[in-house]
Amino acid sequence: MTVAAYGAWVCLLSPLAAAGLITLAGGRLSRRGSGYLATLACFVAFGGALTTFISLLGRRGDQRTAVSTAWTWISGGSYRSGFEVLIDPLSVFMMLIVAGVGGLIVAYSIGYMDGDDEERRYFAYMCVFVFSMLLLVQGGNLLLLLAGWGMVGLSSYLLIGFWHDRPSAIAAAKKAFVMNAIGDATMALAFFLLIKKAGSLDFGILGGEYSSTVANLVALGLLGGAVAKSAQLPLQTWLPDAMEGPTPVSALIHAATMVTAGVYLIVRTHAIFEQAPKVADLAAGLGAGTLLLAGLIALVQVDIKRVIAYSTMSQIGYMFLGVGLGSYANGMFHLMTHAFFKALLFMAAGIVIHALAAEQDIRKMGGLRHLMPRTYLAFLIGSLALVGIFPFAGFFSKDSILAAAMDHGAYGYILWVAGLAGTFLTGLYTFRLLFLVFWGEPSPFVREHFHALGRDVPGVSLAAPVAVLAGLSAIGGWIQWAPLWHPIETWLQTVAEPTVSPANWQEWVTSALALSLGLGGMYVAFLFYGPRRIAVPRFALPQRVLEHKFYFDELYDALFYRPAVWSAKALHRWVERPLISDSARELGDDARDLGGLVSQLQTGLLRTYALAIASSVAILAIVFVAVK
Amino acid sequence: MTTVLILLPLAAALVIWVLPLNDISAGALALLAALAEVGLWIQMLVRFDFGQSGLQFSQQRNWFSDLHVSYHVGVYGFSVWLIGLTVIAMAAAIAYGFWVGRERVRAYMGLLLFLTGAVVGVFSAQDLLLFYAFFEAMMIPLYVLVGVWGGPGRMAATLKFVIYTMAGSLLMLAAIVVYGLSQDTFDLVQIGQSSSDWIFLGFVAAFAIKAPLFPLHGWLPDAYREASPEVAAILSGVVSKAAAYGFLRIAITKFPDPAHHYRTPILALAAIGLIYGSLLAFRAPDLRGVIAFSSLAQMGLITMGVFAVNDLGLNGSVLQMVNHGLVSTSLFLLAGMVERRTLTGELARLGGMARGRPALATVLLTTGVISLAVPLSSAFAGEFLILAGVFQRGWGWALAGAVAIVLAAMYVLRLVSAVLHRADGPAVSDAALDLRPAELGVVVPLVACLLALSAWPAAITGHSFHDDRAQADVARGFR
Repeated sequence: MTVAAYGAWVCLLSPLAAAGLITLAGGRLSRRGSGYLATLACFVAFGGALTTFISLLGRRGDQRTAVSTAWTWISGGSYRSGFEVLIDPLSVFMMLIVAGVGGLIVAYSIGYMDGDDEERRYFAYMCVFVFSMLLLVQGGNLLLLLAGWGMVGLSSYLLIGFWHDRPSAIAAAKKAFVMNAIGDATMALAFFLLIKKAGSLDFGILGGEYSSTVANLVALGLLGGAVAKSAQLPLQTWLPDAMEGPTPVSALIHAATMVTAGVYLIVRTHAIFEQAPKVADLAAGLGAGTLLLAGLIALVQVDIKRVIAYSTMSQIGYMFLGVGLGSYANGMFHLMTHAFFKALLFMAAGIVIHALAAEQDIRKMGGLRHLMPRTYLAFLIGSLALVGIFPFAGFFSKDSILAAAMDHGAYGYILWVAGLAGTFLTGLYTFRLLFLVFWGEPSPFVREHFHALGRDVPGVSLAAPVAVLAGLSAIGGWIQWAPLWHPIETWLQTVAEPTVSPANWQEWVTSALALSLGLGGMYVAFLFYGPRRIAVPRFALPQRVLEHKFYFDELYDALFYRPAVWSAKALHRWVERPLISDSARELGDDARDLGGLVSQLQTGLLRTYALAIASSVAILAIVFVAVK
Repeated sequence: MTTVLILLPLAAALVIWVLPLNDISAGALALLAALAEVGLWIQMLVRFDFGQSGLQFSQQRNWFSDLHVSYHVGVYGFSVWLIGLTVIAMAAAIAYGFWVGRERVRAYMGLLLFLTGAVVGVFSAQDLLLFYAFFEAMMIPLYVLVGVWGGPGRMAATLKFVIYTMAGSLLMLAAIVVYGLSQDTFDLVQIGQSSSDWIFLGFVAAFAIKAPLFPLHGWLPDAYREASPEVAAILSGVVSKAAAYGFLRIAITKFPDPAHHYRTPILALAAIGLIYGSLLAFRAPDLRGVIAFSSLAQMGLITMGVFAVNDLGLNGSVLQMVNHGLVSTSLFLLAGMVERRTLTGELARLGGMARGRPALATVLLTTGVISLAVPLSSAFAGEFLILAGVFQRGWGWALAGAVAIVLAAMYVLRLVSAVLHRADGPAVSDAALDLRPAELGVVVPLVACLLALSAWPAAITGHSFHDDRAQADVARGFR
């Protein structure tokens, strides 16, 4: 086994080992000990990822891809899929983000979950999540990718519903799982088609030649999985509800890593999407639609975490826009910077929530700037990075996605306009949140409930990761400045060659426009929510539509959930009970009514059962003849 | 070896019936015999040569030589796994029954051991009449176990069960006699293929009732609700697999043409059962109802895999038979453990059991998520192969399976949440303790088997048919 493969396996398995240890140790491990163990495992995983990265750096560009197989996982005839990890620039890129950000957030959790009754369960679930996410990005074939895909859905379910005595948390967890199961199912269907056509699920088969129908269907199936996992239109409704989970969970799963898996999937399977350009365009269009829709809804939210959740949906919309157009490296770059600043925002928000006795309603907050200046600074850096203000991280990554849209014909220009409009919205909702929470005078609620962070272990564990991420959000974007230098694009080139290449003037124009629109959004937010507070104009109808999130929940309830419940009830009432379960009894009653039978139980039941079976067989015979 | 595996539990049953043992020693002896059976099976597994095709550990003695009936037993790769499922699940059931303490222990344990021998016989019989004898021998203890040790509605449930299965058995007996006489042998290995639709349908009817397939499941909800938990576990986990085994070993192998003709209607019934069972499981008001209807759905899925008659589908269904057997056994036993604590299985009266009961929560959650086939679990591997196989016979079948994936998520999570989450239900008191070590000793090995299979599903899929070519094996008639 090469050093790279060794690092990759260590990276994959150390969180799983920690999860197993915490589960088996039970009460023998102290609560905080489980937190330390989980953090250690994540950083060991990061070390493994780093080892792999360094060893790949030393290789020539075309020799950076390898598959390390442990054993045959399943087989059926000539089809087989191994339990194997893929080592290539893309998977290493993701491993570093997942293990690195994951380690920071797990460390943060030590403080955030301090004192909870079930810390051990929490850290075991977090480790399962990190393992699953690593499996998703490291899986050496499509089936293992799907396995990781489903496992992150499971860990997301477990962690959203972590506080399981809250009915709202359990409902949100179930909703997230079922919506993701829809995506899993469409992906599975795409894979069945691939098995039928290519006889394998290795990544290599994606580059094969397929008829346009097959390519379109496979790409659609994959896109179904991607939009479900990444909360894009039309399967976006679960993400805001998922904020019921503990805040570090929102930071790790519902901001930095899992929800961006759809972007990774499209980049990983780009060969199919390139054969199905209409589906790729659809992905970009869905991204554009989501970024606008989520940006608008974020304007009226009053829960600090939900505002950030909608902003996550919106930012992933940008990534979908980018990778749908074929600007793979830029999409992945934005995924990375977004992981930094969005995790930062969630964790800073977590400190606010922590300091205000678990209050999340921003209408009760205000004036926290003076009470917690360092948290304010971190939140400000995160917000500036999110809006994409020079020289913070988002500036470098978001703008080059939008520039890429200019190289995609008329359709690209439509998306470009949508993306720019989104920038304005981003500035507006982000700074609305910042001003409402941190500016102004401390509200009565804040004065009553505020308590500062201690300098003990929990306090430090909350502060240190936030500081690291604030640093990364401030300077992390300088790695790549598309018009000047682009190491990420070069790194990922052997995996996914971009299909669009905007000219330098397009980059500069887009940057200038995006920057001024973002600043414009911030200025409007300043007018309405800053110190002087002009009254916010009210429009009843649009506001109601936004507060109901465009009525998607109501629509899906009517379209899917109710029919499922209704048909289950109907089947029970009209089929199961009369025809199958009680047929015998009712037939018996009828026979008695006809007056023939005197004895009540003995022969009556026997005959009528026989009659029920005979009639079932007769129906079957008729069905068989008819269908045949 | 095979004969020993069949006779050991039968002999132990006789000993327990005959000797005047007290309750403890009768139970201990039964458990010991069941564990010895597991040990024997492990030895068989180790000694089985998976690289070789054809029957292994076979033994043959003439019985009625003029009719060419013989005592002929032996095992194939896939039978090894089904026998393994049987002995492990039976050991768990016996251990649980022993721990709970049923009335008339000697009779109860003897019947369970007798059942073990009969089921192992079904999976290893290589003569049609012998197969029939074991198939019937399997039913007799079940009638008694449900009818005597069941819940309040046990008589009605047993009567239904008896009539349904008797009807199926009689059809199968007729089919066996006609088939054997027309081919001039009853030997399952030697007997030639037949193209008679009627004989085929006779077999299918018996297996479809036993599995059960929609719409022949009238006996299922009552029997699963009224039986004691360990008997319900065996019924749905093990006995139903005898039917799926029959589909595989007899229906598609000996009747390739009729199986081909009737593929569409059978797949349609299986798919309807899959969706129908999933929907009813989603609304069932009690623990056992959910598990019972999910069993109906799963048997539909397994049948789909068998009648896909290709490598993917057949490998997948053998794996899924074992998975579902283990999952269903664990779930019914867990349902029994919950019911013992709360005196009810009604979901509306349960809830909040995760708090302060970490072992119960962990085990139930793990089994639950495996049963909904979360990716990376062995059930996922099985379902994936089955649906990939049946996709090749038409995308619509796989689409039905995809819908069922989503429904399974809905009904399993509903069950898990109803027991574990939210505030305490009215039937849940603080006196309801966490799982005891003995209970963990019963279910944890089952869950451990599932986890091991999740790490390596190819243990089964790669070692069920010669050289992994299931379709060729079936076409050759396993010779």
